[in-house]
Amino acid sequence: MKRVTRRAALGAGAGAGGFLVLPWSLSRAAGNAAGFTDTEIVLGMSAAFSGPSRGLGIELYRGAVSYFTHVNRAGGVGGRKIVLKTYDDGYQPNPSVENTVKLIVNDRVFALFGYVGTPTVTRVLPLLKKFQNEKTFLFFPFTGAQPQRQPPYGEFAFNLRASYRQETEGLVDNFVSIGRKRIGMFYQADAYGRSGWAGVRRALKKYDARIVGEATYRRGQKFTSIMRRQAEILKAAKAEAVICIGAYAACAAFLRDAVDTGLRVPIANLSFVGSENLLKMIAESQDEPRRYTELLVNSQVVPSYEDDSIPAVREYRELMRRYNPQPPKELLKESYTPFDHSFVSLEGFLDAKLMVEILRRMGDRPERGRLESAVFSVRNFDLGVGVPVSFSADRRQGLDRVYYTVVDGGRFVPLDDWKGRF
Amino acid sequence: MKTQKLFQKTLFGIFMLFGLIGISTSMLAIYTVDSQLSQEYESNAKGIAKTIADASVDIILNRDLSALQSLIDQFVEIQGISYIYIVNDTGEYLAHTFVPGIPEEILAGKGAGAESVQRSLPGMGDFVEVSSPILAGIAGKVHIGMDTGLVALKIQRAIGQQVYLFSTIFVIGIIAAIWLVNLAARPVASLLAYAVELAREQSATEDNGVLVRDDEVGQLARLFQYFSGTGELPAPTRPSPAAPA
Repeated sequence: MKRVTRRAALGAGAGAGGFLVLPWSLSRAAGNAAGFTDTEIVLGMSAAFSGPSRGLGIELYRGAVSYFTHVNRAGGVGGRKIVLKTYDDGYQPNPSVENTVKLIVNDRVFALFGYVGTPTVTRVLPLLKKFQNEKTFLFFPFTGAQPQRQPPYGEFAFNLRASYRQETEGLVDNFVSIGRKRIGMFYQADAYGRSGWAGVRRALKKYDARIVGEATYRRGQKFTSIMRRQAEILKAAKAEAVICIGAYAACAAFLRDAVDTGLRVPIANLSFVGSENLLKMIAESQDEPRRYTELLVNSQVVPSYEDDSIPAVREYRELMRRYNPQPPKELLKESYTPFDHSFVSLEGFLDAKLMVEILRRMGDRPERGRLESAVFSVRNFDLGVGVPVSFSADRRQGLDRVYYTVVDGGRFVPLDDWKGRF
Repeated sequence: MKTQKLFQKTLFGIFMLFGLIGISTSMLAIYTVDSQLSQEYESNAKGIAKTIADASVDIILNRDLSALQSLIDQFVEIQGISYIYIVNDTGEYLAHTFVPGIPEEILAGKGAGAESVQRSLPGMGDFVEVSSPILAGIAGKVHIGMDTGLVALKIQRAIGQQVYLFSTIFVIGIIAAIWLVNLAARPVASLLAYAVELAREQSATEDNGVLVRDDEVGQLARLFQYFSGTGELPAPTRPSPAAPA
């Protein structure tokens, strides 16, 4: 893993508004065991900045950086600037574990922040238990899986987003409500896919139903992958709706092949998919993108970034425009064109906003040992999304609301009428 | 000419001997590697299946199935393990590693009750599948498919190494045999040349060096000289008397 160089840091900093990603080698926090100095608080992030799912890590990072930059420009938290130490794991478990060891043992970060993915986070959780005396918590991972929400590892993580269980339950309830009880699944053959699968299975039990067919793919598939066999399996199962648990490249490939195979049923994706990247792949590769997206429905865990009536969305749009944060250059191995706005970067923005609020509540001495109580002091906090955020020893997830979106006019818009649409 | 024929026969004999040794040891090696690797594979698979089964109890009863999937994903990285699936007591597949889906043969439940079963899955290959009960079978079963193709590959490698070794020994053996046969054939050829010359001229002009040899060839040469009437009867050679007991 490359060390952040002065040039790279200055380049990224210029794009991000001047000074957010400080060169670690210059940082005075380097030898600090507590993860902070008089001038900095260091957070550690391991996410996908390379590979077919890099859009998720990059957009989450950009959203978070837009807010951290804004806070740093205003003087930071208690005079300390927030530094985000980043590593690339390519959405693979083993690099994620190695990065976490580096962040905890070598970099001695104050807290872990903004990890991406279930297979990665699931493998990192035991490390947090191992280092429980260090009080290094994982804040707001970009995954709705259960392992970081329940024993034995739930006590080491704090979540902002709704869970996959809530997302899949909402999708199943809505599909059943419009008479589509025969639900099939297309999912990633790993912990993420299984988490979504378990959510759908659990939700269907309420209706005395089971998953009628299932097809899988290996993590890391590109849009060029052929998913025709998977589409045929679900078509043969006579699924009336399909719920996909995957990342954008594979799910876009499945959507393309499902439509081409004649599987004309609603196809749903979870928030993790990376909706804008999925839509972009379909739009850029197909002559009639509408034919592929008219039956598409994606659940989201943040409101629409198009909705200016929401204060947090207005702030997000303004800060993204003002700072236009770029992905860390030293981690980029493949080209990537960022989106002006996306659900993922909005989530990163909200994660950062809540993280700053928690750090502020720690006052002048941001010690790791006081982090948990600072989080639990967040009660009915107005994050700006119209729903108050609360945490407690029994509640380690801030938001519960799930939003549903469909594609109209080449962009994702809120879905209000399921029956009318499907 | 006689010498060459003698040499050809010797060479042929060496070929036959090497062939016999090569084939018999290869067959023995195939049998040994196959049986030992297969046993080792099955034994390892059973051990892993039991480990997963023991670790699965708590996850199935208390935790999310993504943790179960994460567990089997780590084991499927082990060389030789091709697939893992876990079925609960109602026959539901709680976690598996199949892509693009669970094969029909497995869904049909063929051989599901056996502790060990040979499977040939279309598009995937041949496997030996072992299973281990979770909580004495009440909570389900763990099934692990080991790729038998890997055993075949290891046998091929073992045989390849053996053939390489034999080829090397064979080439060295042939070179040594040619040298040894030539060493033995050269005095015989000289004796033959001396005898022919003696028969033609009754008195060989050159003795070819064979008359002065103190071995059997020298004795024979001197005997030929006596028969042709140009030499004296050579002194009889007797085997050395055995040492007194």
